Amino acid sequence: MNTRIRRLAVGLLVCYLALFVQLNILQVGREEELTSDPRNDRQTIRDFNRPRGPIISADGVVLALSEPVDDPGAELEYQRVYPKGSLFGNVTGYYTFAFGSTQVEKQHSDVLAGTTSQQQIKGLSDLFSGQDLSGSVVLNIRADVQQVVADALGGREGSVVVLEPSTGDVIAMYSFPTYDPNQVVVPDGQQATDVFDFLNAYPGKPLLANTYQERYMPGSSFKVITTGIALENGVTTLERSWPSEKEWVPPQTTDPIQNYGGTSCGGTMVEVFFRSCNIPFAQMAVELGPERMVAGTRAWGIGERLPIDMPGAVASSFGEVEDFTDQLPLLAIGGFGQGNDVMVPMHMAMVAATVANGGKMMAPQVVDVTRFHDGSVLERSEPQVWKTPISPTTAATLNSLMVGVVNQGTGRQMQLAGGIQAAAKTGTAQLNATGEPQRSHAWIIGFAPAEAPRYAIAVMLKGTNDEISAGTGGKLAGPIAKQILDYLFATEATAAAAPPTDPATVPPTPAAAP
Amino acid sequence: MSTPSPLASARRSTELGLVVMAGAITAAAYTVASLGKNAEIPPIILPFLGVTLGLLVLASIATRILARGADPTLLPLAALLHGIGYVMITRLDDRLAGLQTTWTFIAIAAYIAVLFVVQRTTDLAHQTWTFFAIGAGLLLLPLVPGIGRSFGGARIWVSIGPINFQPGEFAKICLALFFAGYLAERRELIAANTWKVGPFRLPEPRHLLPIALAWAFSVVVMVGLKDLGASLLFFTLFVVMLWVATERTSFLVIGTVLFAGAAYVAWRTFGNVQTRVAIWLDPWPQYEGRGYQIVQAMFALSNGGIDGTGLGLGSPNKIPEVKNDFIFAAIGEELGLMGATAVLIAFMLIIGAGLRIATRAERPFEKILATGLTTIIGLQAFIIIGGVIRVVPLTGITLPFVSYGGSSLLANYILLALLMRISDSSARRLGEVPDDLTIGERFEARTAARRERRDAKRARKAVG
Repeated sequence: MNTRIRRLAVGLLVCYLALFVQLNILQVGREEELTSDPRNDRQTIRDFNRPRGPIISADGVVLALSEPVDDPGAELEYQRVYPKGSLFGNVTGYYTFAFGSTQVEKQHSDVLAGTTSQQQIKGLSDLFSGQDLSGSVVLNIRADVQQVVADALGGREGSVVVLEPSTGDVIAMYSFPTYDPNQVVVPDGQQATDVFDFLNAYPGKPLLANTYQERYMPGSSFKVITTGIALENGVTTLERSWPSEKEWVPPQTTDPIQNYGGTSCGGTMVEVFFRSCNIPFAQMAVELGPERMVAGTRAWGIGERLPIDMPGAVASSFGEVEDFTDQLPLLAIGGFGQGNDVMVPMHMAMVAATVANGGKMMAPQVVDVTRFHDGSVLERSEPQVWKTPISPTTAATLNSLMVGVVNQGTGRQMQLAGGIQAAAKTGTAQLNATGEPQRSHAWIIGFAPAEAPRYAIAVMLKGTNDEISAGTGGKLAGPIAKQILDYLFATEATAAAAPPTDPATVPPTPAAAP
Repeated sequence: MSTPSPLASARRSTELGLVVMAGAITAAAYTVASLGKNAEIPPIILPFLGVTLGLLVLASIATRILARGADPTLLPLAALLHGIGYVMITRLDDRLAGLQTTWTFIAIAAYIAVLFVVQRTTDLAHQTWTFFAIGAGLLLLPLVPGIGRSFGGARIWVSIGPINFQPGEFAKICLALFFAGYLAERRELIAANTWKVGPFRLPEPRHLLPIALAWAFSVVVMVGLKDLGASLLFFTLFVVMLWVATERTSFLVIGTVLFAGAAYVAWRTFGNVQTRVAIWLDPWPQYEGRGYQIVQAMFALSNGGIDGTGLGLGSPNKIPEVKNDFIFAAIGEELGLMGATAVLIAFMLIIGAGLRIATRAERPFEKILATGLTTIIGLQAFIIIGGVIRVVPLTGITLPFVSYGGSSLLANYILLALLMRISDSSARRLGEVPDDLTIGERFEARTAARRERRDAKRARKAVG
């Protein structure tokens, strides 16, 4: 019988080997697939039970961190805290148990949790010590500039983006209304649901980063793009001039196009640009025709999702060739940023930065560098050229045209302190149909110093109230852009004069409710 | 009292050392689980450690007195599995801890009681049909109106007053004893194949038929009670014991063919079986329904990874029935591949020790019984672990020593005591330890001596 008993032992051994193999398949081989299944929330629970790395501004201010919860009975051991509250709400985003995550919290979730393969490999030597591998994310955004932007906007609805033209680094990115992520990461599920319901119903979409997730009619600020396309196609030159006209009837209609305020407007290219006449740009668009105009806007990246390193970016839109073939009047008003045109505020800052950068449009980058738990560099973002819509010559021409806007045109409010030469283009996007009460967005886009640009900016105020709707881009948005650029150059001067103070000691500002 | 034996005391000292280690591991795991779950060292840790060690040491001392030549690894392995199971159960549900503690006391007491009552394996060998009667009675008990209860579709429970138990857990031991007794007696007759049917030589029906009928009866009852796991275990157990006892591979072949046929019929007849097979092959489409448990078990295991989440730090309570059938998934989640593998190895060591006892035994009855008892534990663990991790279709059955449940724990300690008795018996026969008289035999001997003296006195009186 002993032979049979030994065979039985071998048989059972084989059975157990099968169990062992399957265990390895489930616990090692298919671990990643099973862990990432959306129905499996164990990983999330686990993530909330271990520290998550911080998000830090370019000037060293902690924007998001995990604090251990003191209460031993709490379901989750760590609480996410956003010391700057609503100032960075649309940048950091939130990281919640029940509602997922957004913005940087979403984009770099793996780095913050310490679960990227590089981090895991680096932590392999201490597999069993359970060491905290959570990485950190350092932004290009400066907390001080962000604060100046919020102050300059002063509670008016709108978006501001500040870029470094040569690299695409995002220096500031703020929109109002915004929200305080601390209010949505509360452990109480019902309370969090209530806050989300409130924010979702709130007009102005505070949960969306309006700077890159919303689109607005650009008005005359779009003339930079139209002029760029016209210059590239030889449809206009600096020498071209237009007669002073009150109105012009485009083809296929009897309805005339007017200038802003119904005034007479004309002159050289320089003059019509800085006075922001509408008729010349409408004519240029029609002369270019649907094909060249649409191809030109595509070269500027319109119609493509913005290449920003953040989740959920949207695309600006001009229209398709078919939209315009039988609708030349629509193409005509599109030439000066009316009609179907909708632009993302971030994209308009990129337009200004393209002119500033000799025709190269850089991909905007919010994150500068991600770091391992020990502080060493995990990944540093490299500048990337996204589009090259115009030649350096065209860029230089547009630069001079935009200088004219600041020196003698609609953008005089952007003349900077200390004699620094700025370049700009204003926009007042008319939202109402003829006969309805006046509603308009106020825009300004620009850069400085004009001769060697270091900052590009886009400011837009939403035409949601009478005060903004009654003004123009130059009068309303111009001073905001000036205030921000003046601050940037002033800090450059102080930084050059004295070593920088520790920015981490900047006291957190109270969070504004949406 | 008994003749000193260095080998016996060496075995028992080894056992004591291993048992203390198992107790220490249990207490450490208990502390870690409490730290993980509530971030505090349990206030009752010292009494807990004391009682755990006390119980295990008591069991070891009882073995030293009652079965001193027995294998020294079985008790520590059972204690380790029992400890891991106990820690997992208390970690999963505090309220169950008290009940499981009570059952632990009862189980250890039963272990000692069986060693005390069954001092010679021959005491069991002659009770063949008694064990069948008890086993069959236990199997039928849940069908008795008034005391039988169904939980989760299977009518396998009996409630008498406040006590609920599964008689099937004990029935399988009784039936294993019956098979062993019957086969030890008639195995050669069955193997002789003296019945000629055409070109085939088959076992004499009068030798094979009784056992085949008894077996068929049991399987039919278990299937009738919808206790699929037990049916599968029992079917396989019978075939294995028959094969080992008769040394006829044909029984293995016939068994396999019968099994395939029965499985096919069951698959065609019971919608329940079809669902289980479908879930086994692909649980994902039924995630919202009956596949939920098994998908959650897979999630739990993947969440554990290699080194586990740590005791008290996983989310095993997401799996329904995690404390019974799915406890292995909880172990895999919180102790990882390493902990789960340790449990597998513990069962493999039990199988190894059990089958070594079977090979060392000389009497056919002991051999067959040891094989059967070991197969029960090894196969039962395989069926449920394999069911949880989708190696075989899931059939509800407890994980020996680990799962929550008094009947299961009690039955497995009784089974363990029987294995220990066989092991001790072989050690005596092989002369490894002195074949002293057992307590019962000493008592009988004393009584006989007294009677003799009295008779002698009477005789002298009569003479005088």
